[in-house]
Amino acid sequence: MKFIKNHLMFMLPLMAILLGIEFYLVFDRMTDSYEKGLKEGYTMLVVTKKPVTLTRLKKHNRHIASAETIKREHIVSEVAKGVSKESKKEILAALPYFYNVGLDSYLGTRELEKIKSDLEKDLNIKRVETFGSSYNSAYRLFSFIKFLLKVFIGFMGIVSLLLVIKQMEIWKYAHKERMQVMEIFGAPLMLRSGVLFRIAIVDAFIATLLTSGVFFYVKYIWAPQSGIDLMVQKQEALFKTTDMAILLGAALILVIVAVYTVVVSSKGVRE
Amino acid sequence: MSNVISAKNLTLAYDSGRKEIIQNASFDIRKGDFVFITGPSGSGKSTLLKALYGQLKPKSGNLVIGGVDLAHVKPRKLQELRTHLGIIFQDYKLINEWTVAKNVVLPLMIAGYSMDVQQTQAHRLLKHVKLAEHADKYPLELSGGEQQRVGVARALSKNPVVILADEPTGNLDDYSSNVIWDLMENACQQLETTVLVVTHKIPTIFSLPYRHFIIESKGVYEVH
Repeated sequence: MKFIKNHLMFMLPLMAILLGIEFYLVFDRMTDSYEKGLKEGYTMLVVTKKPVTLTRLKKHNRHIASAETIKREHIVSEVAKGVSKESKKEILAALPYFYNVGLDSYLGTRELEKIKSDLEKDLNIKRVETFGSSYNSAYRLFSFIKFLLKVFIGFMGIVSLLLVIKQMEIWKYAHKERMQVMEIFGAPLMLRSGVLFRIAIVDAFIATLLTSGVFFYVKYIWAPQSGIDLMVQKQEALFKTTDMAILLGAALILVIVAVYTVVVSSKGVRE
Repeated sequence: MSNVISAKNLTLAYDSGRKEIIQNASFDIRKGDFVFITGPSGSGKSTLLKALYGQLKPKSGNLVIGGVDLAHVKPRKLQELRTHLGIIFQDYKLINEWTVAKNVVLPLMIAGYSMDVQQTQAHRLLKHVKLAEHADKYPLELSGGEQQRVGVARALSKNPVVILADEPTGNLDDYSSNVIWDLMENACQQLETTVLVVTHKIPTIFSLPYRHFIIESKGVYEVH
């Protein structure tokens, strides 16, 4: 019973940290594709006096990724219905050039304003419309959700880390005497800390397996039955096999640091 | 005979050198000597022993044991030196979650001996200290005297060059004390092990010739 309790007391906070890491990975993948959608869906309108190339636009701001010409004929045909062919030609000649300009990433309103002011320095550019307000509300909501989740994960990580530190103190209390006796008789560090390392590494493996198990369940059993569109569509993003390696790596780093700290702080002080 | 331990103008201190316990002590201990170190409480007997197993670094002077100067020893060298020492403590310092047999062979385990050798030695040593039937018990299941015999068996297990004992019979009754003295006398006589014992008083029944040092007023003096 005591054996199980001792393992659980380290494994549970370790699992909480691993769940936090996995939540972060999954969330990052999910928001990445959402962000990609937002980014791809967004363009700003640039109106120029003369035709302009993408290379020239890119020179004004490095975030500009694409420029699609809006055919002026379409605009004329929309605005000049019932107008004679000659008049249409005149309107077309007087009409400026329109471009849908795409960006390389999803940017905040401040960056959009910066792009606008950069472009407006070009005398050939008559006007830049960023559609800031609609873009802004979507972006703010997205940023807020992202922020909330990061805060939650961060908070969970801090609480779990405190529990790990608590467990380190218990380890120190439980193993200090043995390690000090072994040190007095000349045992090298690895021999005196061997027991602790074994316990901690076993815990790291079990915690990784359990955390991976939770996400396997979510991905293959819960998500398809949940009826939540996002979960069904993004099922692949819920857990990847590489995540298991990341979790194991994180768990091992954490236990090695924790055990090493305990071992070093348990050394008999050479006064 | 060659010196196993040698101190020259040795000063030992605590509190980062502020509180001096022993000042300018010089003495030599030869191979096979049995040495008693006595002195009033707080005189620095245990401090000297601590310095001898490298737990306390000399403030100044030299303290050489087995050719290693403890004033300038590197951690790895100190670790190696400790494997040649047998240390006995007043409070036994046994590992309570290990069996008696495993405690006894700790120095062999550290030296990397095989499990077979460890088991054979554990049996032999426990028989020697008359605790063979307690091999699978845990230290807390034994009496104080028995625990100290385990401590002595552990100290003897790797035939150390030097045995350092800090009040080894301090907490024991007369019978257990006599058993402990016998074991240490035998080690000194048969194996030519140098034995240094810090004690309040020298046992009345002691057959071996011995040397006696007194620690008093921060000095170490030999009584002739």
